[in-house]
Amino acid sequence: MLPTQMQETSATNRLQKKSTPMISLKNIEKVYRTDTVETQALNNLNLNIGKGEFLSIMGPSGCGKSTLLNIMGLLDVPTSGEVRIDDNTTTNFPDKQLAAFRNRKIGFIFQSYHLINDLKVLDNVELPLLYRKSTGKERSILAAQALEKVGLSNRMKHFPTQLSGGQKQRVAIARAIVGQPEIILADEPTGNLDSNMGNEIMDILLQLNRNDGTTIVMVTHDEQMARKTHRLVRLFDGSQVL
Amino acid sequence: MLSHLFKLIWNKKKQNFLLLMEMFVSFLVMFAVFTLLVYYYKNFKVPHGFQYENVWAVNYNDAVKPDRLDSVALYMQTVRQTLLGVDGVQDITFTSANIPFSFTQNNNFVSYNKNKVLANVYEAEDNYASLFNLSVISGRWFDKTDIAGQTNTIVINNRLKESLFGNDEAIGKTILAGDEKLRVIGVSNDMKIDGDYQPTENGFFRKLDTAGLKYNSTILVKIRPGIDASFEPKLFKVLNNVIRNANIEIEHFTKKRERKNTLSLVPMILLSVVGGFLIINVALGLFGVLWYNINKRRCEIGLRRAVGASGSAISWQLIGEALVLSTLAIILGSFFAVQFPLLNVFDLPAGVYLTAIALAIAFIYGLVMICALYPGKQAAAIYPAVALHEE
Ligand SMILES: Nc1ncnc2c1ncn2[C@@H]1O[C@H](COP(=O)(O)OP(=O)(O)O)[C@@H](O)[C@H]1O
Ligand SMILES: [Mg+2]
Repeated sequence: MLPTQMQETSATNRLQKKSTPMISLKNIEKVYRTDTVETQALNNLNLNIGKGEFLSIMGPSGCGKSTLLNIMGLLDVPTSGEVRIDDNTTTNFPDKQLAAFRNRKIGFIFQSYHLINDLKVLDNVELPLLYRKSTGKERSILAAQALEKVGLSNRMKHFPTQLSGGQKQRVAIARAIVGQPEIILADEPTGNLDSNMGNEIMDILLQLNRNDGTTIVMVTHDEQMARKTHRLVRLFDGSQVL
Repeated sequence: MLSHLFKLIWNKKKQNFLLLMEMFVSFLVMFAVFTLLVYYYKNFKVPHGFQYENVWAVNYNDAVKPDRLDSVALYMQTVRQTLLGVDGVQDITFTSANIPFSFTQNNNFVSYNKNKVLANVYEAEDNYASLFNLSVISGRWFDKTDIAGQTNTIVINNRLKESLFGNDEAIGKTILAGDEKLRVIGVSNDMKIDGDYQPTENGFFRKLDTAGLKYNSTILVKIRPGIDASFEPKLFKVLNNVIRNANIEIEHFTKKRERKNTLSLVPMILLSVVGGFLIINVALGLFGVLWYNINKRRCEIGLRRAVGASGSAISWQLIGEALVLSTLAIILGSFFAVQFPLLNVFDLPAGVYLTAIALAIAFIYGLVMICALYPGKQAAAIYPAVALHEE
């Protein structure tokens, strides 16, 4: 049972008016320079994402979606322009502070899961907590709770290689939410999954957004999925087209 | 974080096992190298206990000596007087062939009450101690009242005194060498007779008697200060004249000492070469594995950065993994190493082994740090956005 897109969009508009945006991008430009070529990955991009908003990004391959997500996630810096996260200008943050900021504020989900195969599921989920003050007991309790949320309580002691793709992505979601970040950035989270599994993942993300108010930005190739989110942004050659 | 590192290492035990074994073997080799080094150093610090710089050793073989013992004594007296008459000779003494820095040994078991030890036996005359500036710690050296074969008086060195008597008085006590009773009249300083790097040994001096002279083949000649090597041919000529039909050989104690030292250094050098090669091998292996690891684990590193690891947290993690692994190797190695003092293998003092263990531990940690530092730094520089999009 999902509300129509129209209703969602108007709800978002209300949200955006009420408060300062969670993520604010101003005049973002990103140029990759290698010895021979110069790639303009993002071109004068402006985007505000409200608190609690679920935004999807679509666009052809190579149009700069991942680059945009990396910049939002403070994994990459724009060539020019300003990034504000929850009213913090992060431009001059030193490495340590950036890392701590990512740790507290942002959870990442990737198309290829990026689980550490040498660690059990529970240890994978605990990972973000290792980089903040926490005891081993706290970590395993929180990780177990996160796994319960994604319905994988019975796979805690498995290694990632023993899981299906959908299960792996659920572990990755558990890892993304274990530190209770306000933002989740998901780069084609269902890209490697069949539609059944993809829908499962999508349902989890929708629930997180609805129940916990987590701001979610998701890159997707699936119109169907994008339609379930509050707002859709289309990119083409590094610029927003819609 | 430590338990996290343990999990990582444990879950990759197959890959880590070889590295662990390499570190373990290096630890043991370094333990051996340091044991020898510490032992040599400890011995090196002990003073020689006698002055040998102006002393030359004369060896003569196949000399035709008279048959009767009293004639031998007379003959040797002539030799002595002749040599003492040479300008440049300060003193001479006849002694057994097992002189300091020589390759000759003569030893016997001696016992006092329940203590029984092996000791070197030296035959010496009344002026032996003064010729070598060997100090007598307590009691006295030999004099005219000691008559070989009758009084059976001996001077023991300090080490033998401690082996047999501990802190008790030794002077006046009688010890047994076989069934022979020997009375201690003095305790001398220890002489480091096997060169700079070898320990002092138990030993005692007996008075050289006339029968001994018959088979004597060693004369110690103390040269006056300021006399140089050009004196040697002159002395040789005199010796050749006075000791008929003999093969005469003159050797300076300084040379003899060098030769002895070289011999001690051979195992040290061999071990160092073998150890050096092994360490270079291990260092390269360690460096290679760590280097390979960060390239293989770029995704993992990118991911860790994304979830909140700073660059320095990444390099410390990699260094930490290497340190945890080396700690395991060290624990395993130390278990074997402590068996040496516990079982008293090779009869070295326990302190030597323990110091060597400490040095080997420091060495392995140092090596691991050096090998891990650069790969760790490189890992910290990995750009997460790039690493996460490689597959
Ligand atoms: N690290 C990089 N170095 C050079 N060029 C890059 C790098 N990352 C991405 N690009 C280029 O930037 C453009 C946008 O890439 P990306 O953001 O990954 O696109 P998308 O995720 O939409 O497929 C592409 O042309 C890509 O080749
Ligand atoms: Mg992409």
